[in-house]
Amino acid sequence: MKRVKLLKLATLGFAAASALAAGVGAVDTPPSIASPAPSAQAALAPQFQIVAMRRITEAQYRNTIADIFGPDVRVAGRFEPVVRPAHELIASGAREASISPAGLEQFDAMARGVAAQVFDESRRSQFAECQPADATKADADCAGKVLAPLGRLLFRRPLSAGERDFYVKLAGDSAGQTGSFYKGLELSLSAMLDSPNFLYVVETAEPDPANPGALRLDNYTRATRLGFMLWNSTPNEALLQAAQQGKLTDDAALAVIAGRMVNSPRFEQGLRAFFSDMLLFEKFDELAKDPVIYPYFNQDVAKALPEQTLRTITAHLLGKGGDYRALFTTPNTFMTRSLGPLYQVPVHKSAGWEPYQFAAGDDRAGLLGQAGFLSIYSHSGRSSPTLRGRAIRELLMCQPVPNPPGNVNFTAVQDVHNKATPTARSRLTAHSTDEVCAGCHKITDPVGLSLERFDGIGAFRAAENDTPIDSSGILDGMHFEGADGLGKTLASSPDTTQCVSSRALQYATGLGSEDVSPWVEALDKQFAASGYGIRALFLKVATMPATWQVKAAPLDQGATKISYAGQRR
Amino acid sequence: MMRSAGNRRLARCSAAIAALLALGPMTGASGPLGSPAVGEATDRTLPRPPANGEMGFVVSSLAQTVVPGLDACPNGTVPRLRDAWLETLPPEEHARLKLKENIQEFERGWQSYAFGANGTNICSQPDIFDHPLIRTVQSPYAFGLNLDEDAAPNSTCTHENFSSPTGEKGIDNQVYRAMGCTLEWRGVDGSGGDITRGSKQFHSSGEWTQVLLLRGVDSLQNDNDVEVVYANTSDRPNVDTNGNFLSGVSFTINNTAPRYRNVLRGRIVNGVLTTRPQDIVLTETWGQGGARDIRGARSKWEMRQGRLQLAFQPDGTLRGLVGGYRPIFDVYQAMALGGAGTALVAGIDCAAYHATLKKLADGIRDPKTGQCSGVSSAEQMSAVPAFVNDVPTGQRTAAR
Repeated sequence: MKRVKLLKLATLGFAAASALAAGVGAVDTPPSIASPAPSAQAALAPQFQIVAMRRITEAQYRNTIADIFGPDVRVAGRFEPVVRPAHELIASGAREASISPAGLEQFDAMARGVAAQVFDESRRSQFAECQPADATKADADCAGKVLAPLGRLLFRRPLSAGERDFYVKLAGDSAGQTGSFYKGLELSLSAMLDSPNFLYVVETAEPDPANPGALRLDNYTRATRLGFMLWNSTPNEALLQAAQQGKLTDDAALAVIAGRMVNSPRFEQGLRAFFSDMLLFEKFDELAKDPVIYPYFNQDVAKALPEQTLRTITAHLLGKGGDYRALFTTPNTFMTRSLGPLYQVPVHKSAGWEPYQFAAGDDRAGLLGQAGFLSIYSHSGRSSPTLRGRAIRELLMCQPVPNPPGNVNFTAVQDVHNKATPTARSRLTAHSTDEVCAGCHKITDPVGLSLERFDGIGAFRAAENDTPIDSSGILDGMHFEGADGLGKTLASSPDTTQCVSSRALQYATGLGSEDVSPWVEALDKQFAASGYGIRALFLKVATMPATWQVKAAPLDQGATKISYAGQRR
Repeated sequence: MMRSAGNRRLARCSAAIAALLALGPMTGASGPLGSPAVGEATDRTLPRPPANGEMGFVVSSLAQTVVPGLDACPNGTVPRLRDAWLETLPPEEHARLKLKENIQEFERGWQSYAFGANGTNICSQPDIFDHPLIRTVQSPYAFGLNLDEDAAPNSTCTHENFSSPTGEKGIDNQVYRAMGCTLEWRGVDGSGGDITRGSKQFHSSGEWTQVLLLRGVDSLQNDNDVEVVYANTSDRPNVDTNGNFLSGVSFTINNTAPRYRNVLRGRIVNGVLTTRPQDIVLTETWGQGGARDIRGARSKWEMRQGRLQLAFQPDGTLRGLVGGYRPIFDVYQAMALGGAGTALVAGIDCAAYHATLKKLADGIRDPKTGQCSGVSSAEQMSAVPAFVNDVPTGQRTAAR
């Protein structure tokens, strides 16, 4: 009987959350079977305005739950992905991300699961400092003491009085019907986790005293940006306190706090998220290779490839404080038993990772010689100089390459066993005789062909179809040989450092590349002055005024409405 | 220049290996390597060994040697237990028991042949039953090594020698003589039975995985002194979609007691590595279950006075033989582990196998009784290049 009641209440809570979702930033008041929940706007002083909403990513959701409730609280469910805009970051796509009804169902299931774990008997004492007078009945006072601090952590700002009252009332109503104070808390918490105030970063702005008539992001928004930008997680207690004290709109205090954050071990988590976004690591989720053609590829390898690249990046940029440009030439990486056979190198440890250094002059040097990059920019049964060249242009140099037309004849490049065209170079030469194709292939292929000594999974090969592979390449007029030569050429190109500077700023702000372009050159100069240190770059991004300026019109002053549950309101 | 006796033997061994390889895949020897049969070892172009002289391999195939075909067993393969029981009865009984109305009597009869007093059965306690010997190999040809050429006086028991298919004399392989006509060894069509397929599976699944680590290799053509570590690893090999071993995989030699790690010494002559006789002990795990379960039973794989004779191949692999004397029980321990099920389901007469092996035993001679409890054996071995870590925490011991 109680189960039935609980289900009904859960529906009630979900509807309440839905009402809240619709309320954020929206002018219209949505119909609801429950009392409308107070919106975020109600929490704001009149001068504060919502200027943007960014959906949190799966990693940010998981990190947030782990940080607030502990890493032992499991998050079980499927996340609706944030769609990446063409040639941009997922962080930029998050500004446009809606949640479908099916996606919201998943979020709701995860929310219930998390809430049930938080308030089960083994954990509740960690989060409920007070005890109800009677555990079978509602206790508004105690519920408020439990829910308000949690709401502050989840919404990344203090709850308004209206919000506090709403969630306390929801907990009370639930407790009354289920006969359990803790079930009431559970339902109220799951409603918070369903709220757009949690699932979205609701960015708010205030008048900028230094620029009359202009807006700047307020303290709590800054705390949230700093948390997600630098640690890929929700702002911690120290950041929220700094926001409460107004320190994050103080340049000097902001610099100290951001400096502490980029020097924290937790910055590694943030840097991993940044490079996963910049290098399109979501492609690893769909990586598949033909096991007959590539027996060295298996699920363990697929799982290890992105991790190898991330370990290489973080060990070089953070562990050694290395120059960003040297990522394209470094001989240092990490190996596991699953990757050793692909690289044909010894691995001593039976389990886990160990450092590995390629010999001097080895073509493996740098990120582009790693199987991770080489395999995701290949087809399932063959390498692809075109995909590799395009990825280098777009991801590492921020030079968008147009998509091929829909009527391309791929016969020549797919005929990998034709004795007349035994290598990819010869096949692409045949393919590029088509004028329609030649234009773009001139941009991509001379770059990608230098990586042809690595097959479709990134394993070394000296020949294709018994024909020696020519790994010469050309990039912007520079001639070079192999992955090693390509790495050195990229390391000397100003486009690579400007690109990562631009990406860092886009990542922080959620803006597109065009939006941040006015600041990139100056940022890159400061990046250079720091010796191309990644900590310095992110510290600069975190403290530069452009990061905190508000360009867009407030969401509630124009026609912008929040899309919710598949309906435009 | 006169060649020493040792060199002459090695030259003959090399010829035997070459002949064995020239014959192409033996039964069970059709390894994953796919390398072409080779002729004289000295004609082959072999790669240079690594600068540090260390080379690692994982054993990709270790299977009983069987000269293919049915000629060696002119009376057919060894009958299943039911037929073996029938053969113990007068001929007129055969027809009667095969009548439909006597089927239950027939079933009871042959099944009871598998059991003895007090719950004993012919596979768990084969030595307490008195079953007739099985049919043995009648051919004079077998693959193998001349194990007793340098044996001490009175260290072996009287036995017949085989010749290799290319004519080398003195081949000792009494396991093949005893078991070579069983279905498990020869198969229905003479191309090999379950024993070879099962062995391949056990090696590729990681249950028996063996590694070789060669040290002090200065040349793959000729080298007077090479150390060979022949050991087990608990690491699983990587295989392709056809079950063939992949090269370049890292393995760590087991470092937990009891540690099965044999250090042999040998030399390379004309591209063939031969080790000096020495007892070799390795472990085998039967199945993936726990140690108390038959599906996780651990047993030893012993080769007394064992030796390796392996030819380096141009593609970097090794192919050849491992030979020595095996304790009688070891030869049929897989069947014994199955207990009564082996007899009733697989129809194997373990007691007859045991009796035949015991009769043909030619090694591990008890100096007091003069009885032999071991049988000469030779198994085909293939190995692919691997990185072998001898000391798990070491940084300089991986070799391929």
